Amino acid sequence: MKRIILTSLLFFCFAELNAAEGGPCKDYGECDQFKPALNDIASLQSGASVFLNYCYGCHSLKFSRWNRVAADLEIPESLFFENLVFDSTIKPGDLMVGSMPSDSANWFGVEPPDLTLVTRYKGDDWVYSYLRAYYEDSSKVYGVNNLVYPGTAMPNVLEKLQGNQILSCKDVPVLASNGGEKRDEYGNTITKQKCGYLKVKDGTGELSKEEFDSMIYDLTNFLVYVGEPARADRERIGWYVVFFFIIFTALSALLYREYAKDYH
Amino acid sequence: MQEKNKTRRKVLIGLTSAVGLSGVPFAATPFIAAWNPSAKAKAVGAPVTIDVSKMMYGQQIQVAWRKQPVFIIRHTEDSLKNLQTVLPKLSDPNSDNIEEPYKNISPTRSTSNEYSVLTGVCTHLGCSPKYYPEVEPKSWDSNWVGGFFCPCHGSMFDIVGRVYKGVPAPTNLVVPPHKFEGSILTIGEDGGTA
Amino acid sequence: MSEMASKVFNWVNTRLPIVNTFERHLSKHPVPKKVNFWYLFGALASVVLIIQIVTGIWLIMPYSNTEEGAFASIEYIMRDVDYGWVIRYMHTTGASMFFAVVYMHMFRGLLYGSYQKPRELVWIFGCTIYLVMMAEGFLGYVLPYGQMSYWGAQVIISLFGAIPYIGESLELWVRGDYYISGITVSRFFALHVVALPLVLIALVFLHLVALHEVGAGNPEGVDIEKHVDDDGVPLDSIPFFPYKVLNALVGIGVFMTVFAIIMFFFPEGGGYFIEMANFQEANPLVTPEHIAPVWYYAPYYTMLRAIPDPLGGLIIMGAAVAIFFVVPWLDQSKVASIRYKGIYSKIAIALFGISFLTLGYLGTVSVTETRKLISIICTVMYFAFFLLMPIYTKFEKTLEVPERL
Repeated sequence: MKRIILTSLLFFCFAELNAAEGGPCKDYGECDQFKPALNDIASLQSGASVFLNYCYGCHSLKFSRWNRVAADLEIPESLFFENLVFDSTIKPGDLMVGSMPSDSANWFGVEPPDLTLVTRYKGDDWVYSYLRAYYEDSSKVYGVNNLVYPGTAMPNVLEKLQGNQILSCKDVPVLASNGGEKRDEYGNTITKQKCGYLKVKDGTGELSKEEFDSMIYDLTNFLVYVGEPARADRERIGWYVVFFFIIFTALSALLYREYAKDYH
Repeated sequence: MQEKNKTRRKVLIGLTSAVGLSGVPFAATPFIAAWNPSAKAKAVGAPVTIDVSKMMYGQQIQVAWRKQPVFIIRHTEDSLKNLQTVLPKLSDPNSDNIEEPYKNISPTRSTSNEYSVLTGVCTHLGCSPKYYPEVEPKSWDSNWVGGFFCPCHGSMFDIVGRVYKGVPAPTNLVVPPHKFEGSILTIGEDGGTA
Repeated sequence: MSEMASKVFNWVNTRLPIVNTFERHLSKHPVPKKVNFWYLFGALASVVLIIQIVTGIWLIMPYSNTEEGAFASIEYIMRDVDYGWVIRYMHTTGASMFFAVVYMHMFRGLLYGSYQKPRELVWIFGCTIYLVMMAEGFLGYVLPYGQMSYWGAQVIISLFGAIPYIGESLELWVRGDYYISGITVSRFFALHVVALPLVLIALVFLHLVALHEVGAGNPEGVDIEKHVDDDGVPLDSIPFFPYKVLNALVGIGVFMTVFAIIMFFFPEGGGYFIEMANFQEANPLVTPEHIAPVWYYAPYYTMLRAIPDPLGGLIIMGAAVAIFFVVPWLDQSKVASIRYKGIYSKIAIALFGISFLTLGYLGTVSVTETRKLISIICTVMYFAFFLLMPIYTKFEKTLEVPERL
């Protein structure tokens, strides 16, 4: 009886407590799930290349060092500096402090933020969704807006690749109160128009949707890596440490039980 | 039964302590490794490059590599010839007692026939010796033929950094890794083997 | 050679009570022979304390206690220092685990009446340790100078402002500036790494000395001192070494496994151990959308939020911690352990546990009307547990406690 009261009380509390809060991805709804693959070196390399070509012009990675990125991404330093670093005065051990002049805040109204830790304070899901949620909006300065970050100050620099994405509407089935689809008397599904779907205008982008998504995946993956370069090591070493402590615990449990015979 | 129990205990104690102790070096690793030079220190201590073509003959300049003084001397032909005369005063003229990186390449001890590249840190207790190229009597040596003199404890070296006999410094001044690409000298990086 | 060594040892031992102390407090120290897992958390707390001290010392070395350098120095530790991330995560995980372990340790005390005569002082030293730990944790959280460090500190320091008359000038005095600046960080750093650890270690020492004077309790609430052998050693006791040590070793093994899993696979603890906003450098001009304290303060933070008046909130929050100190005198029961206490005590402690957890959860989410109501109910339940204790423990029917363990 006591148990039942307790559980129901707990259940009541948490059901009540978990009332929906505005999600981090705002108008986009639920953020798209992002699962990093930090051991996929090819993906990280392509992400780094995208970042240095499209983002590094405005955004720095000021806690990260060039040679560390080259080493972790298994790119030979000479190759890395020849192809990805566009400033010959940069030394291998330098921090990636960005290539913007210091008065850049005037260009966008805000200074483009440093992105070293963006996946850690915004979340990788957020970054992955954000970069794919631009749409045309003539009321904005750059003609684009973002569902994840309404009113974002950043233009869609990847528009050429992605194509012109617009908000579109489509017919969705109306749900009946029992959860099934509502039908009219002829058995046809009743639909209503719902808007706010992102859609790329056909033929406007250089990449297909899959190609573009995979590019953003690589970019986000790279940003996750930069957010914590030791993470792959951390997870690898973790297995050994946990394994060690399990063995140790098992042995000490046997030892304890052996000695406990003395007083039981 | 009693005997069997005792063995079991001994075995278990042995195993548990062996596993426990084997973890100690691993647990200590991060704490020891954290004292290594960090990536920042390594970046600051990266190789330095300098154009030495503007140096005058006989001139000595000092550059900092890893916040340590490095002496670069551009020798005149005369002074290189004079290296013979100082031989009897030296304790290790061929640098046999130290690990000399560019042995028998040039009398300058560097990879160049004209320049010497020396770490400006006395091998005695780490003071920085001073360059006195003049061939004239000095208070520390009435037959001074030019070289380095350390003000801390009076160690003497010739103009290519070889130590004199009977001074506190035990070995020659160290030649740091370096390479010449024309007149561009890089200190801290070895061109020969790389 | 060994003769020489024993001579030296004897020379020292006649001047310093090595053997005596060792035997009294370690090798021969008698502990109850039958306890359960709840009695392991004290040992675990000392393990975490050692972890925190060692990793803390190592973190001081590369840390920079300046406004410009603090945040960057944390990233320096995470990236540029060899294995710096291991040491930092060990410290952040350790902080959370310290509180987790101490909360369990305290709950054990409430469950089995560990505060009862003659262990009142042990309990009071323990409560003081908890109080110092809360200050220590707060100060430490400010040091990375991230957004959550800044705004968390802003909220806590503003609490001082609620004190009548001197509040505002006190706030200014604590900060030493008009905002939480480099000097504030520097002060908190000094307190976090020197002052409070000294106090903490002294208190832990007193906690243990007092404990060893009266002996450890047991889940039955049996006084094992009543039945002793000819040497005065309790019959229901075992020597600390090797028996208790081996018991603790198993606990430490399990604990370290959990510790390692968190540290290596979930170091941010889902945003509860290191909050996401703290990966952004402090910005005095922009408040993060959602401010939440680290989980271990959450219950008290909820109480603070539930009270509309800041001074009232401060008083409630202070009272919620202070009330632990008087528990030895609130409990009027003839028995110590929950096993032999009556139904009212059992219901009370269950409700207390639920209200504490609920308050904790509420502290980490944003406020709504319903949640505010629940906060108030839970706060009342929390205090009722303590304030009604003299009544329900005195008048309930208890069971007979056995003579022996």
